[in-house]
Amino acid sequence: MVLTCPVARRRTTPHVRALGHSRRNLLRAGALLALGGAVAPLTGCDLLDRGDRQDQAPDPLEPLATQARELAARHRAALAADPGLAPLLTPIADAHEAHAAELAKLTGRPAASPGPSPAATTGGDRAAVLAALREAEQGGREAAAKLCAEAPVDRAALVGSIAAARATHVEALK
Amino acid sequence: MRHRQAPSGPAEALGGALTAEYAAVWAYGVIGVRLADAARTAARRAEAAHRSRRDALVLQLSAAGGTVPADKAGYTLPFPVTDTASALRLAVEVEERTAAFWRAALPHTTGEDRNRALAALTDCAVRATRWRRTAGVTPVTVAFPGRPT
Repeated sequence: MVLTCPVARRRTTPHVRALGHSRRNLLRAGALLALGGAVAPLTGCDLLDRGDRQDQAPDPLEPLATQARELAARHRAALAADPGLAPLLTPIADAHEAHAAELAKLTGRPAASPGPSPAATTGGDRAAVLAALREAEQGGREAAAKLCAEAPVDRAALVGSIAAARATHVEALK
Repeated sequence: MRHRQAPSGPAEALGGALTAEYAAVWAYGVIGVRLADAARTAARRAEAAHRSRRDALVLQLSAAGGTVPADKAGYTLPFPVTDTASALRLAVEVEERTAAFWRAALPHTTGEDRNRALAALTDCAVRATRWRRTAGVTPVTVAFPGRPT
């Protein structure tokens, strides 16, 4: 892209068009040579740019951390609406928050933003509330298992533990 | 079945999981006789699950041509098992310890092997949760199944 721009610009300049072939070719060759000399520094810039883009790219574990915060928020909302569920749901909400904190350590990104307000799972009877939470945990388990399969060596154990924990939540909510 | 240092490679990681499965199968023999009714049935099912993992690991490690750790005639119990309560406590402990070996295998495996290790870790964690519920232990879950504490 960078290499072709100056040459193309010269081609469309009337002044250059008026020049003889040999002169034009010479100019082009000169431009290419000059650009060729600039390839090394340009490549250097390009590498830096790529580095910047990598920093801005979402970490593959970010969605898992977001999901952990959302699940925690759902459990907190459910037990706020029905305090009788606290002994069951508090440890599960705590676990999701602990997962988010551990994931933040790995990704190097703080778990600052709380998840969006949970969907209205607080309405309805207790069985319906638990069924909705169970379904959410099952989805979370599958997502974590998928990520575990693809996770690099230093992340596999944590992501695996999170997948297993979500499976135990499904069991606990039965 | 003891807590050990992190394995250094796939063979050691899966070998560790195999020693854990041997011990789990043996322990459920002790556990089952102290339980009755539904709990005894659950213990038999758990024992069968551990046997199945054990057999699969023996086959896998044999096929790979490496050393296959041998089973022992008996294992040292972490505490005496004399009644239902201690049998349930041992069942929880067996599942937690076996989960730790499978978790340790995750970084040393890829593809289908890792999926199998995760399935084993998950099964152990879910059984530990069921045993805690049967034993009346709360909470019934832990935040990081298989993670050394």
